Amino acid sequence: MTLRELYTQIDGDYDQAIRVLRMEKLMDKHIRKLTKNSVVDKLLEAAEGMDPVQLFETAHAMKGVCGNLGLVRLSGMASDIAEEFRPGNQRKMTDEEVSRKIAEIRAQQKKTLDGIRRYEEA
Amino acid sequence: MINSKQIQCPQMILVVDDQELNRDLLGDILEEKYELLYAENGKEALEQMREHADKLSLVLLDLMMPVMSGMKVLETVREDEELRRIPIIVLTADRNAELKALQLGALDFITKPFDVREVILARVDRMIELSEGRQLISAAEHDQLTMLYTRNFFREYANRLHQYHPEMQLDAIVLNIEQFHSINALNGREFGDEVLRFIGKEIRSFLEETQGIACRTDADQFNIYCVSDGNYQAILDRFQTKVNMFSYTVSVRLRMGVRPWRKNVEPLLLFDQARAACNMIRGDYQNPLMIYDEDVQMREMLNRRLLNDLQMAVDKKQFHVYYQPKYDVRVSPPRLCSAEALVRWQHPNLGLISPGDFIPLFEGNGMISLVDSYVWDEAAGQIARWKEKYNFSLPISVNLSRADIFSLELEEKLIGLIKSNGLSFRDLKLEVTESAYTDNAHRLLEVVARLRELGFEIEMDDFGAGYSTLNMLSEMPIDVLKMDMKFVRNIEKSETDFRLVELILDIAKYLNLSVVAEGVETAGQLELLQNAGCDLVQGYYFSCPLPAEEFEKLIQHEVKIKRG
Repeated sequence: MTLRELYTQIDGDYDQAIRVLRMEKLMDKHIRKLTKNSVVDKLLEAAEGMDPVQLFETAHAMKGVCGNLGLVRLSGMASDIAEEFRPGNQRKMTDEEVSRKIAEIRAQQKKTLDGIRRYEEA
Repeated sequence: MINSKQIQCPQMILVVDDQELNRDLLGDILEEKYELLYAENGKEALEQMREHADKLSLVLLDLMMPVMSGMKVLETVREDEELRRIPIIVLTADRNAELKALQLGALDFITKPFDVREVILARVDRMIELSEGRQLISAAEHDQLTMLYTRNFFREYANRLHQYHPEMQLDAIVLNIEQFHSINALNGREFGDEVLRFIGKEIRSFLEETQGIACRTDADQFNIYCVSDGNYQAILDRFQTKVNMFSYTVSVRLRMGVRPWRKNVEPLLLFDQARAACNMIRGDYQNPLMIYDEDVQMREMLNRRLLNDLQMAVDKKQFHVYYQPKYDVRVSPPRLCSAEALVRWQHPNLGLISPGDFIPLFEGNGMISLVDSYVWDEAAGQIARWKEKYNFSLPISVNLSRADIFSLELEEKLIGLIKSNGLSFRDLKLEVTESAYTDNAHRLLEVVARLRELGFEIEMDDFGAGYSTLNMLSEMPIDVLKMDMKFVRNIEKSETDFRLVELILDIAKYLNLSVVAEGVETAGQLELLQNAGCDLVQGYYFSCPLPAEEFEKLIQHEVKIKRG
């Protein structure tokens, strides 16, 4: 599996990522690191307590990390949660809608990590 | 030629982000060109910044982090003088934070997700370049010792003030430290620097209360261009009082020249004139303030003329050597035993010029050597003539100025004089002022020791007039101490002055030196000095300085006594 194929499978933007890192070697190094990174897990943990401050901070961190790796779908989802809980913003979603979003993030995380593992095995 | 880019310090960047992945990504982008440090939160970042403050070229700072946020880091850095110079680029995905971060001192942004590699690198390069340029300018703008402006920046800013703010009516003030070289020589360069730093601080504090700018120009010269109420004495008193409080043990005397504001007169000229006023009172401890006016202008013009005419005066023999006798007062009646050669200038247009008007002027720029040399020639010739005419040897003392001591031809010149006039080394005595010791003690001791070895007798002139130290007396290989006339002046009226004279005589006796009292004018002074054990006396009581032909009468008288 090529890196470009991986990015297609996990709804990432290969071109965006290569623009930042310039070399596939570096993209390869960093995408592999994601399997050991807890940035998405921390958001999922925060969602369990529905603490708005925690939700905002973890979503914000996840948005940055995923954005930098070109994982645009994950980054976009994190951005929705961050904006929902940004201090000073009016809430637009119900808690149920937030939970649904979190579930989507969990599923997208699984899809991404599974994809990366397959890429690693290949 | 080495261009400035080749003289680049290693550049270090601190990457601060709580997300390891973000730090790594930036690391990969920057590591080829920069040395990198990392921190996971604001607290760690501040620790790293403090540890590497002098080496850090840039900080890339995430805003949202646990333990301490990037905003808190910016707030802390803003209040910290040392850290403030390090440029910070904020890393953020949050456009809303930009304004606050900028207000807190961030210089630029890198947005998340990160831009293309080249954009990030270019922004980092540019920011470091700008910041280094700014730091170079800042270093060149300020004198690192006093934190006042440097001369060139001061000149530029003064011109702008003159041009764009004529309504401010700024005065030019030049502040100088009396005999700063002596303070340095006697107390060490570090102490001298402390004095300069202190004065710089006081000037900055003064300028917080009034509108103006200041710089240090030469080693110990300060220019202040400021609005004032015209009470210049109060300004000088303020600085002198503070300086007195700074050092109780070392006397630091300031002098000040002022050129008050004048419409349409450029600061450059104002400061030339303030400096001329300040130079005019060099060494005059009674009058440490001089305001430039018409008299000063006349004096300045005269000085220029004298400097200009000096060589002509030497060539056309306009200098006349006068001789003032010294009497041995240990015998009764006192006997003529030697003389001091003193110079007068008979100027074709300006008439007779007193040495007080031209000697300090020529001493200031080293041209005094021309005059000294002239006097040595004349005096040596005169000794030879009297020797031949009266078969009487009257030693004459001549001055050795600071500039002479540093001259490599000094010994050769003096030996030549002795030989060509058929004299012995004892016939020509050499007077050295104590201030020469403080300029370059090592050189002076060396020169004086060699001259003594040749056979010259060395007299220390004006002892007690400046920064005398007992150390100098014990180190200097001299034969005679000439006590400055200010000690003698009041001995009849002041018990303290008389005690001082007694003390100097005691010290001289202990060191086996003869003492000449200068400036003796009355019989009362003479009697006190005789009773106190003074050896020789010079002054108007016996005779004013006389032209050679008049002095000859004293010799004739002495010869008559000798021959019975």
